[in-house]
Amino acid sequence: MRRILPRALEGYQWDGKDEFYDFNTAFRYMDGAAELYRSYHFKLLLVRRYVKAGHPSILVELFDMGSSEEAFGVFSYQSGEEEVAIGQGSDYGGGLLRFWKGRYFADVYAEKETSDAKKDILLLAETIAKNMRAGPKPNLIRFLPKEDLMENSLRYFHTHHVLNHHYFLSHENILHLGPKTRAVLATYSPAPEKGKTRLLLVHYPSTKEAQKAYNHFLQTYLPEAGATEGPVKIENGRWSAAKLHQRYVIGVFEASSEEEAKRRLDATQRNIGGR
Amino acid sequence: MEEGKPLTRRDFLRGTAYGALAARFPAVPGEQAEAQAKAQVVLIRDERVIDESGRINPNVVQEMLDQGLCRLMGEENPLQAWKRLVKPSDVVGIKSNVWFHLPTPNELEQAIFRRLIDVGVKKANIGIDDRGVLQHPVFKASTALINVRPLRTHHWAGIGGCIKNYIMFVSSPWLYHADACSPLGTIWSKPIVKGKTRLNILSLIRTQFYNRGAHHFDQRFVSEYKGLLMGKDPVAVDAVGARLLQLQRVAHFGEDRPLDQPPTHIFVADTKYKLGVSDLRRIDLIKLGWMENVLL
Repeated sequence: MRRILPRALEGYQWDGKDEFYDFNTAFRYMDGAAELYRSYHFKLLLVRRYVKAGHPSILVELFDMGSSEEAFGVFSYQSGEEEVAIGQGSDYGGGLLRFWKGRYFADVYAEKETSDAKKDILLLAETIAKNMRAGPKPNLIRFLPKEDLMENSLRYFHTHHVLNHHYFLSHENILHLGPKTRAVLATYSPAPEKGKTRLLLVHYPSTKEAQKAYNHFLQTYLPEAGATEGPVKIENGRWSAAKLHQRYVIGVFEASSEEEAKRRLDATQRNIGGR
Repeated sequence: MEEGKPLTRRDFLRGTAYGALAARFPAVPGEQAEAQAKAQVVLIRDERVIDESGRINPNVVQEMLDQGLCRLMGEENPLQAWKRLVKPSDVVGIKSNVWFHLPTPNELEQAIFRRLIDVGVKKANIGIDDRGVLQHPVFKASTALINVRPLRTHHWAGIGGCIKNYIMFVSSPWLYHADACSPLGTIWSKPIVKGKTRLNILSLIRTQFYNRGAHHFDQRFVSEYKGLLMGKDPVAVDAVGARLLQLQRVAHFGEDRPLDQPPTHIFVADTKYKLGVSDLRRIDLIKLGWMENVLL
């Protein structure tokens, strides 16, 4: 990882004191915030500080996430700021740049935000990103229907904590999410007056586990659906539905109509393929 | 609402979330003290507490602490109010919070320290600590605790408040991270803290109402609310704090952006561990001082 980071750039010098944290020691660096990175199976964190006289220090937190899927996942946890075209995805706001490329996710920020800081942060990040090899996004994404999809809404994760961050479903783990499940959440916006629809696609390690999770989900969240796949009109007048397909559970939440909920379920199933 | 049924988004849409939580977490007989029928929480604000250069004014902090505590204890004089909380013979741990982005203000720690000295507690019998409390001789021998920390959102617990502040009283904090940190209330029954807490204070001088970034901190989401929230009931103080952070998000974003986790642990601390009152309808909130953008 050290080879990815430059020793000096534009008058900034590495302070020579790299810190490394692994899966078990990350708490020492970031307290409870480490749980997020642990939920994406992160391997190693390298923290490096760059100093330059008369300028605020710049800190780089470089996470080896083990795979590009996990790097994308942790990046997708938060977005919505300015895309600054660094790496395979970036997000700059409030003096903090977040980006991912290949198996790496990085935070780059100045200890104090100044007018020059953004320029320095972007330059440093660009140099770092050039030393990384690109990798693919999670496979699950290709099963999502493209129609009305808000591209920057994609979230990839494993745990129900992260699902709840994006879309609160239940304080309990009613979909049996965990380290071995892979999930993607997407937002669809057919038209402003129709509001937003969420589509959740979860892959389980086996059909048996998918079946069990699906049954529990229907029982606790959509009991009106009974043995059918819904859709069910929920309390705010919108429509939710779920479907079990092979090792996948597909959920559509708060669609504007029964037809929309069904259409998005069916399209996802078709994209996955098989019987 | 069926007992044991998980709380879901649909309960919130129905407006039955509180009832759902209460049903989900039935009381454990005999565990901790009985919840108060009603709790009192005092909010005091003063716009002078942060000066133009961003420094906290220690004199204003002292005034706020004194006035707030007098009102909470129904006393005219701050020393009388403190005397009802601690005895000169007490060994007092001030459980602070050192999170470097938003620590408990030193000015507030010192204001508490000063009043403890004023009521006759020996200097050697007062300790201020956070991460070292398990090794700190004062905390190990403590007969009284003052719980003080800033109010902020917290990635894994929903909010970082008074209940969460005691996580350093256990040697493996991560074991309490399950289910949005809902087991946090159990820490309050550990011998090192059980029955010792005399006062809970949330510093609202600066609050963090939303998370972003590696450390879940972003200066843009820090508000200079310039207040203190205090009460004897940690659950009530946290419940009001959680509501304030929600209102601050609505004021800032124009909508209630969800927390990383709903602060379930506050409800659980009430309904399961009987640490206090989480139902805002049963909390008597007394507001003092500067009222501009008070939100609550």
